[in-house]
Amino acid sequence: MDAAAGVRNRKNKVASQKTDKKQHGEKETEEHSDTLIKKSIEQLKHLDEKINRDSGDGESAPDTPPPETAPDDASTASTDSSTPKKDTSSPKPQKKSKMGASTAMAKAPPPPLELSLRLDGMSITLFLLSFVTRVWKLDNPKGIVFDELHYGKYAGLYMQNTFFFDSQPPLGKQLIALAAYLAGFDGSFKFDRIGTPYDPLVPVSAMRVVPAFFGSLLMPTIYNIMVELGLSHYAGALAAFLAIFDNAMLAQSRYILMEGILMFFGLFGLLCILKLRRFYHQPYSLPWFCCLIVGAISLGACVCVRYFGIFTLLLGVGIMARDFWEMVGDRKVTERQLFGHFLTRAAIFTIIPITIYISTFYVHLSLLYKAGPNDNIMTSAFQASLEGGLASIISNQPVTVVHGSQVTLRHTHGRTCWLHSHDALYPVKYQDGRGSSHQQQVTCYSYKDVNNWWIVKKPDIEELVVTEPQEPIKNGDIIQLVHGLTSRALNAHDVAAAVSPHNQEVAAYIDYNVSMPAQSDWRVELLNPEHTDGYWHAVESQVRLIHLNSSQALKFSGRQLPDWGFRQHEIVTDKIIDQEDTIWNVEEHRYTRSDDKKEREKEILRSEMIPMERKNLTFWSKLYELQYKMLFNNQENVAGHMYASEPLDWLTLKRGVAYWISANSNAQVHFIGNIVIWLSGTLALVSYAGLFIVYLLRRQRACYDLSEGAWNKFCTIGEVFGIGFAVHYFPYFLVDRTLFLHHYMPAYLFKLCLLAAMVEHGHDLLAGYLKAPRLAKIYLGGVGVWLASILSKTKTLEQVRCWVLGPQPSQVIEQEAVLRHETRLISHHLLV
Amino acid sequence: MAQDTPKKSKAGANKSSTSSSSHLNVELTIDKVFMKYRRSESGPVWWGVFLAVCALTAATRFYNVGEPKHVVWDETHFGKFGSWYINRTFFFDVHPPLGKMLIGAFGYMTGYDGTFPFVKPGDSYDGVHYLGMRVCCTTLGACLVPFAFIIVWQMTQSLPAATLASSLILFDVGLLTLTQYILLDPILLFFIMGSVLGAVMFHAQKHRPFHPVWWGWLVFTGFMLSGSVSTKFVGLFVVLYVGLHTIASLWELYGDLSNPLSLVGKHFLARAVGLILLPVILYCVYFYIHLTILCKSGNGDGFYSSAFQSQLEGNSLYNASMPFELAYGAEVTLKNARTGGGYLHSHIHLYPEGVGARQQQITTYSHKDFNNKWLVKKWNEEPGDWEDDDPTELVKNGDLIRLEHVPTGRNLHSHREPSPVTRRHHQITGYGENGEGDVNDVWRVEVVGGEEEEVVKTVIHKLRFVHYLVGCALMSHNKQLPKWGYEQMEVTCNPNVHDPNNLWNIEDNVFPNLPNSSFEIYAPNFLEKFLESHTVMFQGNSGLKPKEGEITSQPWQWPINFKGQWFSAIDGFKVYLLGNPIIWWGNLVVLAAFVFVYVYQAYRRQRGVSDDRQTKERRERTMSACGWLVLAWALHYLPFYAMGRILYFHHYFPALLFSSMLTGVIIDYLLESLPSLVPQYLASSVYPALTGLFYSTLIYSFYLFAPLAYGMHNLDPTFENSTVHQIRWLDSWEF
Repeated sequence: MDAAAGVRNRKNKVASQKTDKKQHGEKETEEHSDTLIKKSIEQLKHLDEKINRDSGDGESAPDTPPPETAPDDASTASTDSSTPKKDTSSPKPQKKSKMGASTAMAKAPPPPLELSLRLDGMSITLFLLSFVTRVWKLDNPKGIVFDELHYGKYAGLYMQNTFFFDSQPPLGKQLIALAAYLAGFDGSFKFDRIGTPYDPLVPVSAMRVVPAFFGSLLMPTIYNIMVELGLSHYAGALAAFLAIFDNAMLAQSRYILMEGILMFFGLFGLLCILKLRRFYHQPYSLPWFCCLIVGAISLGACVCVRYFGIFTLLLGVGIMARDFWEMVGDRKVTERQLFGHFLTRAAIFTIIPITIYISTFYVHLSLLYKAGPNDNIMTSAFQASLEGGLASIISNQPVTVVHGSQVTLRHTHGRTCWLHSHDALYPVKYQDGRGSSHQQQVTCYSYKDVNNWWIVKKPDIEELVVTEPQEPIKNGDIIQLVHGLTSRALNAHDVAAAVSPHNQEVAAYIDYNVSMPAQSDWRVELLNPEHTDGYWHAVESQVRLIHLNSSQALKFSGRQLPDWGFRQHEIVTDKIIDQEDTIWNVEEHRYTRSDDKKEREKEILRSEMIPMERKNLTFWSKLYELQYKMLFNNQENVAGHMYASEPLDWLTLKRGVAYWISANSNAQVHFIGNIVIWLSGTLALVSYAGLFIVYLLRRQRACYDLSEGAWNKFCTIGEVFGIGFAVHYFPYFLVDRTLFLHHYMPAYLFKLCLLAAMVEHGHDLLAGYLKAPRLAKIYLGGVGVWLASILSKTKTLEQVRCWVLGPQPSQVIEQEAVLRHETRLISHHLLV
Repeated sequence: MAQDTPKKSKAGANKSSTSSSSHLNVELTIDKVFMKYRRSESGPVWWGVFLAVCALTAATRFYNVGEPKHVVWDETHFGKFGSWYINRTFFFDVHPPLGKMLIGAFGYMTGYDGTFPFVKPGDSYDGVHYLGMRVCCTTLGACLVPFAFIIVWQMTQSLPAATLASSLILFDVGLLTLTQYILLDPILLFFIMGSVLGAVMFHAQKHRPFHPVWWGWLVFTGFMLSGSVSTKFVGLFVVLYVGLHTIASLWELYGDLSNPLSLVGKHFLARAVGLILLPVILYCVYFYIHLTILCKSGNGDGFYSSAFQSQLEGNSLYNASMPFELAYGAEVTLKNARTGGGYLHSHIHLYPEGVGARQQQITTYSHKDFNNKWLVKKWNEEPGDWEDDDPTELVKNGDLIRLEHVPTGRNLHSHREPSPVTRRHHQITGYGENGEGDVNDVWRVEVVGGEEEEVVKTVIHKLRFVHYLVGCALMSHNKQLPKWGYEQMEVTCNPNVHDPNNLWNIEDNVFPNLPNSSFEIYAPNFLEKFLESHTVMFQGNSGLKPKEGEITSQPWQWPINFKGQWFSAIDGFKVYLLGNPIIWWGNLVVLAAFVFVYVYQAYRRQRGVSDDRQTKERRERTMSACGWLVLAWALHYLPFYAMGRILYFHHYFPALLFSSMLTGVIIDYLLESLPSLVPQYLASSVYPALTGLFYSTLIYSFYLFAPLAYGMHNLDPTFENSTVHQIRWLDSWEF
């Protein structure tokens, strides 16, 4: 009831504001003389403030106290310069100030340092309203909710400076970690299962307030975008209203999840780009640059939260390109100017996002310097640059590989495994009837093992100990590799390999006294000899081993051997040398001290660990490797997750996600949208497409139903929201991963905006085209009913979704009717 | 091959015009013919050039068509499919049937008896009538060149452009290789090109709508479209292309205000019938023929449902009769209803130590076996308690039951232990002795979409078995157990009850007290069979994923001719599928040039720069032809980036056809524009010179790379100076 009443109030307020705006316009001339005096005073002030001019919201009083501070919402939108509310709404005034300044510039010869501050009551109200709904009982439930498991864990790892690997970029996690840090979190809490209650030491509220804050900023952004596209303030407020009262949005921005942050950055960037249209006639002015730069920063940040944000960025660039294309058609702009515009935009939109992207990674990598749980994915060199972990193993090992070095050879890229051999032979005949050499198997083994040790030997020296003086191995040297425990040399010959018959087999050579001669010489080819003066260094050098007799390279074929090879991976040589699977590096390394075989074996079997300093790897090489792994490492996919859904299911809200289920009561948090909004949104999408086709067909027959302005507005809606929806939705059909409903949220936001725009379009049609004011009134009444039904749904669903700490079981059963498909899942859960 | 082709005559004209003036007379006549050729005015010249191109095509395609005399590459599959059509044996393949049916038909007509097993590439064709099939496929492949000629001619009305475009296709070694063998590709390419030809010709008839010729081309297009879709599903791209083409022309008709709406409606309907309805009907007809011909049980049965199998002669379900309804005490076999699902199976072996409880293994097994038999029991009574004259009790939807493995007497059992492979699921075991187990043996039967208290029926009902205590459902998927499980498929209890892999159906049902009835009345009708074949095909297609570590061909590698494909690696006759690099790389350059020119023109238009009418007209015609060709290329190429399935080099060839035609059009445009850009005294010779250069490069490159297609003999890797080694321009080429 309260909520409904609130909305009614808000509607009134929207109305009053609108009328006030008009009055404001009329008053403007009267006030002009007053403002002139004020401006001159301000001018003086600004001369003093020259330096921190950009900070905007400072002391300068608003020139005309905005009339929209109607008495009924004085509490929320009190715009007097020094209310405590200022803190929460600070980003708004800043933005508005830019806008205000620019409008002033457009009107009259502007005073050089004029700054006017106008507060947008609607934006602030929307922000506050949504912030209140988002932070109310923020620490509830006091357990891990869904993906908080990951993001909370990452925040903890940031606190402990422990390296982790995640295939999404780090900005969002960093923001949460920052909040956690400010709240004094030490990262000691283990995030092991969804539903685990939080320790009182974990600053849950502080971490959750970050998404809540950004999720609330989203609402005024939506409103402003709508207004910017030429839609009415009502429609803007309606869109924001829908977003505020949608359960899915609410749930997504209340917990430690990324979507709220992602959507805010994306939409704010778009808003800036749309604002740029206002400054078409004042290129290179301060507000023009501000819009462009802030837009680039915001869209760049969006990509840094999730790679999926790239689609928002592309949408922004697309809108900009479209505007630019229109400028091309403007004959008043010279080609030279066009070129300049093109360059400026291209420069800002490449340099800024890239800089942001790289700097988030810079922070990421410099914060996380300790070895952690996901190290194995990274190369040896990377691992060695982390404190603890591999660094502690290799820290005291010699660097230069010499004759007599004992080494483990790691397959550098792709699957982690080490060159391995063991006391088992290739079977005489394979299943398909081919024969093998029947020599000792050589494989790639994914675990650390004593059989991974090999001794580097120069062909002309017999002794296996390190010689005095040492004989370092250089790029291009010929070596042999002797297996540590079996003392057999790595050998390749013209026999088809076990699983990849088009490649040569690699074996550890056994002298059977038959026609098969040893071909165990390998040439060392370093990939980065310039880093090490041409010497082969442990960890750092990446190396290819080229078989001397056949000029083929030692390669990890990616295939598994059958049971006789213990399901380890196959090693072959391949004619195509220049490929990634032929790259190896020395990981562990020590010098052989004793020539006695027994001693040597003992030495190999004994492994020691002395913690030491990390090695340094430059930021760029770390970044390069991390990027590479993030983009090309296919993480394991949780197939058939209980709450997974398909993109098509999202349109009709077929399945939600149980975010959190209380262990000892019926309470749960279920991520699911407001069904009324959801279905209306889909309907709006369909009706937009339908109407568009109808209009187009009519226009082709020269029937112009809409005025040119209305038609343009209609097209613009489609260009921004329709295409925005499409680019955020359709790519998921191509994604080969398990998807959840929350992946739909960015697209959903565009759908909401489209819905609000279509509601307005419907009204315009009735009032403007059909000229039926009564029908239009009825229509408005219908919209009112519809809004009421949204609110009522919000209320009923809310009980299921949130803060239901222990309702009666009967209540939950009542909800089932509401929840349609999910009912069975939920009840199943409640029973278990 | 020495005939007076237009190229020859051009080259001759070129030479004579530059050499001397003594043969002035001859030169003049040649020049005249040449100008006729350029202006494309004379009918005889057109026919002369066209026939010459056809003759050259026939000569290159049919040269050595019988070689090699062994099975080449995928002939092992498609030849086999052909044999199966001839033998009427049922099989499963991921592609629609038309292409394979045609191969079967070719074989049947040319005397092949369907007995050759086509075991593996390299098997000798000694005494097999394989030649007919090859020649038929090659003939279809050879049609590509004249088709391209006519398409480009219709699009640009320029004879040189048509010649250029068709010769680019004619001299491509890759196309030559691909269309010479018993494969689906020549058939597919034939239908794709045919569809485009139809669309273009149909468009050319627009001045006489509803004329018989107009109808003829419409029906022709529809027929070709149905052919391309029913050969491979990538044929859908050409459907899309023709659809867009049709929409564009309809849009134009519709926008012409002098056309009344009823006329536009008629146009629309005619096209809907010809291009949508007709292909759909033909598609169904092909499937009908496919399902009618293949009536004998073969190796594809297991992919299909029990009901489907009951229609195949020789299958154990064929003409079988058993009770419809499931009664307590019946002995049944349960088949996982997933495509390719096996039978619920158990054997006396136990799960090894460390893998859950050491109880008897439960798996699924694809073959029919005594160990697949299960006894249906009430949850609280043993069958022995019943008297013989007790009334038969039927199992109903929602009943609680136990299932006893007949040979070992253990009950189907589950408990909260992780499953051996899928750790998130619960383990399924066989438990108890002589049918006596514990409360964890109780399962609830659910009929999918069934009413309450509905009796469970054999074969047609999809069932779900939900564990009574844990609440998970019996499930099987295609993950194999390790060696200790004899690599049979894992069976688990899935906590996600609504997983599609949880469904089972009863296949055999033995219960003497109930009357047996034949399955004939439950036999799926054509529509059901049609739909089922499609689900199976789509699942099969999406299942063609590269395995871990397997190197697959990437779409970006194709246009640059990065890597070819061995067709025949037998010593003495090696064939390697690789495009003619001159043509392929040239295509890319031209494509880039087109994009550049297009953007430049768009920019000029947007800036409002105008040209004289003639230039503009010529440019617009070329640009629209190029636009459509680029669209066709993009439609046949870009979607591969989004495909998760395993991809091969030869998937690029449809796109290549369009790319080559585009090159022909653009080069002609440039050649025609060039004379006006160079000094006057060069203007007359620049065109013939460049044309001559172009054709001689083309022919020389064909001569260089032809051994890849016609077979490389006795390659000795040590002989570094052999031609084949000289043409190995990229390290990634594997010959």
